[in-house]
Amino acid sequence: MDDSAPLRLSARGITKTYGSFTALQDVDLELRAGEIMALLGENGAGKSTMVKVLSGLVIADSGELHIDGEVAVINSVTSSQRAGIAVVQQEYSTVPTMSVADNLFLGQGGVSWMRRPRRLQKEAREILGRVGLEHLDPRTEVGDLSVAQMQLLEIARVLARDARIIIFDEPTAALADAEVGRVLDAAKRLAAEGRSIIYVTHRLGEVFEIADRVTIFRDGRSESSGAVADLDVDTVVSKMIGRKLGHLYPHRSDDLGEVVLRGDGFVAPGLKAPVDFTVREGEILGLTGQIGSGASAVLEALAGLRPVLSGHVSMNGVPVNTRSRRAGIRQGIAYCSADRKRNGIFATSSIRNNLSSPWLSSISRVGFIQFSTEAAKANTLAIDFAMDRGGLERSMGSLSGGNQQKVAVGKWAGIRPKVLLIEEPTRGVDVGARADIYATLRRLASTGVAIIVCSSDTNEVLGLSDTVMTFFRGIPTACRPAADWTEHDLVREVLHREEVTA
Amino acid sequence: MTIVQATERWSPGSSWTTARRLVSKFALALLIVVVLVIAGLTTPGFAETTNYRAILINTAIVGIAAVGMTAVTLSGNFFSLGIGPTVVMAGILFLALSGRTGSIALAMVATVVIICLLGLVQALIVAGGLNPIITTLAFGTIVYGLLAVGTGGEVVTAGSIPVTSLATSDVFGLPMPVVAFVALTILASVLTERTVLGRRLRLVGQSRETGRISGISVLVTTIAAFLSMSVGAALAGIFSAAQLRQMQANDLPNLTMDVIAAVLVGGAAVSGGDASPIRSALGALLLAILSNIMLLQGFAPGVRVFGVGLITVVLVVSLHMIRRAGR
Repeated sequence: MDDSAPLRLSARGITKTYGSFTALQDVDLELRAGEIMALLGENGAGKSTMVKVLSGLVIADSGELHIDGEVAVINSVTSSQRAGIAVVQQEYSTVPTMSVADNLFLGQGGVSWMRRPRRLQKEAREILGRVGLEHLDPRTEVGDLSVAQMQLLEIARVLARDARIIIFDEPTAALADAEVGRVLDAAKRLAAEGRSIIYVTHRLGEVFEIADRVTIFRDGRSESSGAVADLDVDTVVSKMIGRKLGHLYPHRSDDLGEVVLRGDGFVAPGLKAPVDFTVREGEILGLTGQIGSGASAVLEALAGLRPVLSGHVSMNGVPVNTRSRRAGIRQGIAYCSADRKRNGIFATSSIRNNLSSPWLSSISRVGFIQFSTEAAKANTLAIDFAMDRGGLERSMGSLSGGNQQKVAVGKWAGIRPKVLLIEEPTRGVDVGARADIYATLRRLASTGVAIIVCSSDTNEVLGLSDTVMTFFRGIPTACRPAADWTEHDLVREVLHREEVTA
Repeated sequence: MTIVQATERWSPGSSWTTARRLVSKFALALLIVVVLVIAGLTTPGFAETTNYRAILINTAIVGIAAVGMTAVTLSGNFFSLGIGPTVVMAGILFLALSGRTGSIALAMVATVVIICLLGLVQALIVAGGLNPIITTLAFGTIVYGLLAVGTGGEVVTAGSIPVTSLATSDVFGLPMPVVAFVALTILASVLTERTVLGRRLRLVGQSRETGRISGISVLVTTIAAFLSMSVGAALAGIFSAAQLRQMQANDLPNLTMDVIAAVLVGGAAVSGGDASPIRSALGALLLAILSNIMLLQGFAPGVRVFGVGLITVVLVVSLHMIRRAGR
């Protein structure tokens, strides 16, 4: 795409802060008509905030937007839509029990108030054809579609709205290789129609395949866009990394103990190749990869939430029963999920009741809770995990994300775990509380707990872990001591692994 | 820096919020006292020992069933929509078994066991994933159908066995059903508030998913909740039968709604995780008092039902708002 194409979108000096945390700082962004621009950056670099600003979900503190030369004020989802911006969501916003045609025109103005199925289907067929779904019957229920078809339908819905600027927010995260091609084709076709496309992704391969230009986010700042033709993978990676975090991560331990957890030829749903691993006493093993890489599948299977298809797992030489979460807890395996709100906390219970939830039977006598023992044990945990003891009766839901996470992790210390499995330990946690959580995990490790952390944040995995293991599309690709990785290698390994893709 | 932030964030609530919390905690009890005072001043025949006795006797049946069902609501299984027919079944079983065996005690035990088995089956189905509303509604209909067919629409009695003694004999100066109601409320409260199982019921009611991940068995909590409901339904049926001396399939048509209303007026969260047997008992008591006042004021039955319904709605909404403000 040449620079002579008219400027479609121009954002200048966009800034957004949350308390003391700066999500976006003086971000500039330019988008020309008919071009595909890739937004790259690590988790938390500011990509999603920028997308939210453009789609009207978040209002920027300062900065201005011009669309086709005119000042655009975007302060709501409606005003964003009116400005001609549409977002293809990562999460599907379709209604599974309605037909494809009905979903296409759902929630749109200008649709006649009377439902005219015949005409609706005709229009639907035309739009479906443009995203490569020409063989799909518009009368099909959305719930019966494949993941890829749903993603394409999501794109088609945006088309039905006739937007000038289309934002793809990690559209291929959950797709298999063959299906990715169809999404990319749809994006190319839209650009050829003269629409401008912002393509947010973690997959570098796609960037080089379809994007004209790249804008890289790092620490809430944007790096001026460069033409893809002038870039290579290494340049892109080195521009993405290098977040300055100073003393965010605690020191690693020097002496690791005996092997606690050992997996041989371990296979679970979501993994395409067997995994071998060992975790020693006091060691933090970091697993990392993109969404769907299989890293979290390992943890969930060890926690008893997915079946183990084959292979052997032993703890201190004894086979581990991974059949259920309860069996795991009895053997001293603690697990914190990635989705804290959904299954990590009891939001309406007090902090004390949350803390004691996994070890209630250990503080009971003939089925009755010993309240003084419960209080004493909860107090100890509160001190260990940097919580205020006076606030233990407060309800969990009133806490900040960081404090909730401290409780969600801290409660497991009460079962005296031998192994702690933790997914995305700092998701939705502000920077200040992050350091606390890292320190806590390291302190737990130093008491002899073997810890496996699974995170899509490569910086976090590298800073926190003793050993780092990478996953790519269901296959474990490398396992080395953290000292032998550079951030550059790790990002490259996780985002772009040619020998596996090929 | 982080330390300062932490202290700010974790600071305990002010005395104002403590006061609000106290008010919200005892809102229902305060309301009952206020209603008692107003009714005593305005309604002739209300502030008399015999009338208080009548109110308590009227409360007992609904109250026993409501206290038992509180565990179902607490554990996130909504309500049993089959509680009415289940209570009637218990009553009919008790009368029939008393008449057949000649032993009231044996009939009581057998009734409780049979109703508990019925609850157990429902618990297994619900824990297996079927919606509790649908399950209990279906069982309620099945039970009613069985009773109608089994009794042939006839009235069931215990023959010459003196079952009324169960309803009329006094313990500590109060009729047996009332004493049983109070005892059951205390027992259920202790079990709910002080035992591991009670705590787990509450936690699972708040978040089933977190409960699973924390190693709490949803099967066990569901069974416990339905057994609690069954014991309540069985005792309610037994005392009701003892009071009436006879029973038929069509009896107690409003019971299901009365029991649910009591639990709701008690401020239970419909989605689970917040309910208390004492509050459900007070809810039943308040509704019985209101019904009694309107009876003494000479309102027609239709007006009474309308009034109780209207007051229930107002109470549920306002108590909910008071409790939320106190949080």
